[in-house]
Amino acid sequence: MAGKLEKVRNIGISAHIDSGKTTLTERILYYTKRIHAIHDVKGKDGVGATMDSMELEKERGITIASAATFCEWLDHEINVIDTPGHVDFTIEVERSLRVLDGAVLVLCSVGGVQSQSITVDHQMKRYRVPCIAFINKCDRSGADPDRVIGQLRNKLGHNAVAMQIPLSLEANFRGVVDLLRMKALLFEGDNGEQVREVEIPAERLAEARRKREELIDAASMFSDELTEAILEEKPIPVELIVEAVRRGTLARKLTPVFMGSAYKNKGVQPLLDAVTRYLPCPSDIENTALDLDHEEIPVVLQPDPEKPIVALAFKLEDGPYGQLTYIRVYQGALAKGSVIVNTRNGRKTKVGRLVRMHADQMEDIDAVSAGYIGALFGIECASGDTFVSPGLNLTMTSMFVPEPVISLAIFPKDNKSQINMSKALNRFTKEDPTFRTHVDDETSETIIEGMGELHLEIYVERMKREYSAEVETGKPRVAYRETITQRADFNYTHRKQTGGSGQYARVAGFLEPLADSPVDFVFDNEVKGGAIPTQFIPACEKGFRLCMAKGPKMEFPVTGVRVVINDGASHAVDSSDMAFQAACRGAFREGYLKAKPVIHEPIMKVVVETPTEFQGAVMGLLNQRRGMIVGAQDEGVMSVVEAQVPLAEMFGFSTILRSATQGKAQFTMEFALYRQVPQSVSEKIAEEVALRKKSAA
Amino acid sequence: MKSGGAVCCLARPVGQILSYPYRTLKMLKQDLILRNPLRQLGFETEDILPEGGFGAVLAHAGVGKTALLVQLALNAMLRNRNVLHVSLSDPVHKVTLWYRELFDHLADRYEATQVNRLWESILPHRFVMTFRVESFSVPKLEERLSDLSEQGIFSPEILIIDGLHCDATHEGDLTALKALAGRNRMRLWFTVHTHRHESPGKDGFSAGFSPVAGLFDLVLELQPEHADIHIRLLRGSSGHAAADLLLDPSTMLIKDRV
Repeated sequence: MAGKLEKVRNIGISAHIDSGKTTLTERILYYTKRIHAIHDVKGKDGVGATMDSMELEKERGITIASAATFCEWLDHEINVIDTPGHVDFTIEVERSLRVLDGAVLVLCSVGGVQSQSITVDHQMKRYRVPCIAFINKCDRSGADPDRVIGQLRNKLGHNAVAMQIPLSLEANFRGVVDLLRMKALLFEGDNGEQVREVEIPAERLAEARRKREELIDAASMFSDELTEAILEEKPIPVELIVEAVRRGTLARKLTPVFMGSAYKNKGVQPLLDAVTRYLPCPSDIENTALDLDHEEIPVVLQPDPEKPIVALAFKLEDGPYGQLTYIRVYQGALAKGSVIVNTRNGRKTKVGRLVRMHADQMEDIDAVSAGYIGALFGIECASGDTFVSPGLNLTMTSMFVPEPVISLAIFPKDNKSQINMSKALNRFTKEDPTFRTHVDDETSETIIEGMGELHLEIYVERMKREYSAEVETGKPRVAYRETITQRADFNYTHRKQTGGSGQYARVAGFLEPLADSPVDFVFDNEVKGGAIPTQFIPACEKGFRLCMAKGPKMEFPVTGVRVVINDGASHAVDSSDMAFQAACRGAFREGYLKAKPVIHEPIMKVVVETPTEFQGAVMGLLNQRRGMIVGAQDEGVMSVVEAQVPLAEMFGFSTILRSATQGKAQFTMEFALYRQVPQSVSEKIAEEVALRKKSAA
Repeated sequence: MKSGGAVCCLARPVGQILSYPYRTLKMLKQDLILRNPLRQLGFETEDILPEGGFGAVLAHAGVGKTALLVQLALNAMLRNRNVLHVSLSDPVHKVTLWYRELFDHLADRYEATQVNRLWESILPHRFVMTFRVESFSVPKLEERLSDLSEQGIFSPEILIIDGLHCDATHEGDLTALKALAGRNRMRLWFTVHTHRHESPGKDGFSAGFSPVAGLFDLVLELQPEHADIHIRLLRGSSGHAAADLLLDPSTMLIKDRV
């Protein structure tokens, strides 16, 4: 693993679900000779694609966890991260993008830029990941790469430029024309492994020349030499174009577009060439860490193996041999026997076994240098942890982790399942920060929380399959919140005299809503003249803060409240921290109910892609679910309807949508915001809460 | 509303703001409507256009036609009027960005509090629909409209059509839209893209727009002059005050002439 850094590529393959990214990865592994046979995603041979290593993924034909794998192409070492396509697993995609240097955006030549591609593209922008595009499925009926390039420009705002044109389309798709070298490429052999270069068919020559002009024109923006060569009307060397396209791609100002059909084994090798030519190597990208000793000042990391180690654990997997931790090394070299410190908890560890992953097979290695991805065995950590050499106190930027929006009670069927369930939960929560679990104090139920129905469903399934934990689930519950809508005063005296030393405390002040504030709770002390002695102020804050966990209205967490105390009283003997905490709890209850509390519910951004003839029906479905339709985009045969719908109304939506559209529509859903629940619904929620309390008692 | 002296374009009408943090949403809305310089277009009634009427905003590319119409729409939404925004050029998310951006600028200028609550409360009054230019047709729009109204999803009172070529080639579409507007008692606003090489005719309209100008009840023109964009009323009832309005190039908000 001590190769030249310029010859290393850490790439991700991101796309909309069903665009064929797992098939593409499979072909990449085949042509780079990492595997010796090709299996399909939903393979008839029962083996399944190599990257979909989890049994469940094979069955559903979707990729859940990003498996990292390593391969070589033209002297280059390529680490490929296969990323999940469903929004419910977005944290996986985001985490993968964090450690990648470049990405291949796979698009379906029929479906084009779909909602998930837009989400993934936003994420790429956020992490500034340069990308190239691959238009897959050119053999499918209705394939139209030109339309997809247009969508890349219009919908995603990419400066997309075709590097190839297809040789026929749909069932006759034979290969591609390489516009750089002006050659037609045909893919022959049983599995398309032989690339044969032929002259461009005469009937396509004019189009190829025109497209090449467009390509050179777009590339010339990034190279003065190229512009000069154009002006001087000299023959343009291929290297000059490659260099210009690379510059544009690295700056995220140009997106070279390739095309093919992974399933039909066409166009994959030129894409691999492009990965080595246009996507960045680790030293092209500037990575920073935060210095915890100096108020988190960003520190630029050097991809130099001689420097102290900085590495990020970006994914955990529990395999048969213990916990496997995927890491990306940003600085230094992680070798067997080296000592590393987990910045989060300061725990020192000696590196034991180091491996390089190839989907679910692995090979042992001695060291992982800066810029590389590898995996460690036997390290206790959570995903997102930073490992450094002793003496350093750096952390990689913490990743944005959204709050869960849905919860579910789970009950193990027997004792054995109970033990296995805890093991499974322990692992899942470490692997995925958006998946959380706790035991409800009142009902003693185990509650799991996550980002959507499917997110939780998959984990329940995995518990059954991987841990033989038979669990039953309760009804999904939405994570409601409470807040207040107006200012209210309180003046509460806590007095208790039941023998022994008494308790006395009085607090006065007001509560008010925190409009448009990112913080949930603000406490201000405006007490003057020592009405409440200073030593009791922290107890007051604690008393109020504790009340935020469970609102007096419906016992949902309270958010968006500013508490101001401005008066009070104490007693020389009977006042204590406890007395003030109790007084604050009473004061909060008193003020809260006067402050017109309301319930807020999570609202999801739902994007439905449907054939245009079902647009009306889809809008009707969303409307029935208290959805507010933001817009409808007419795209010819397909339409995209975007709406904001309460999560509580979205249970079972996929089944209903399928039956209303003959299975032709699909939707994605992600958390958007919290919004006040209408009065009628709020009454229903109150009834449900009361019923639940009664049954728990 | 006029701020005195040499005040920068973002100047707030200091001293006129009721700094009361608990203004109800209704008060806030009312406040924004009252402060809206659009009122100074000189129209006494609430609505600038009559029912079934056509309004147009003429300008060169990139001057601010959409921004002006979005402000008209926001003003209508604050008055609880339903606005259907049909765009033939931008995708839904870009249109929604226009609204949010201009709303934030507006709220910022008038120091509105509870911005998010206010935004949430007016949002149900907007529906964005986008078509590709080549696939847009009036029967198609009508079909979508009946889809929406029959299911009780949305009944627009104001329709904004951004990106339709308002010239002789589309006279048929415009006439059909006029009939649609009359039937549904809607008010329609259009953006009209004028070209720099075209000099205006006697009526002040460009050669392209002139043949269909008869269909329009009100025509505004945006004209960049030095650092300002002037809003000129080319056709309409009482237009003296419109000449006092400008479009602030930094925020794209309508403002009084300083």
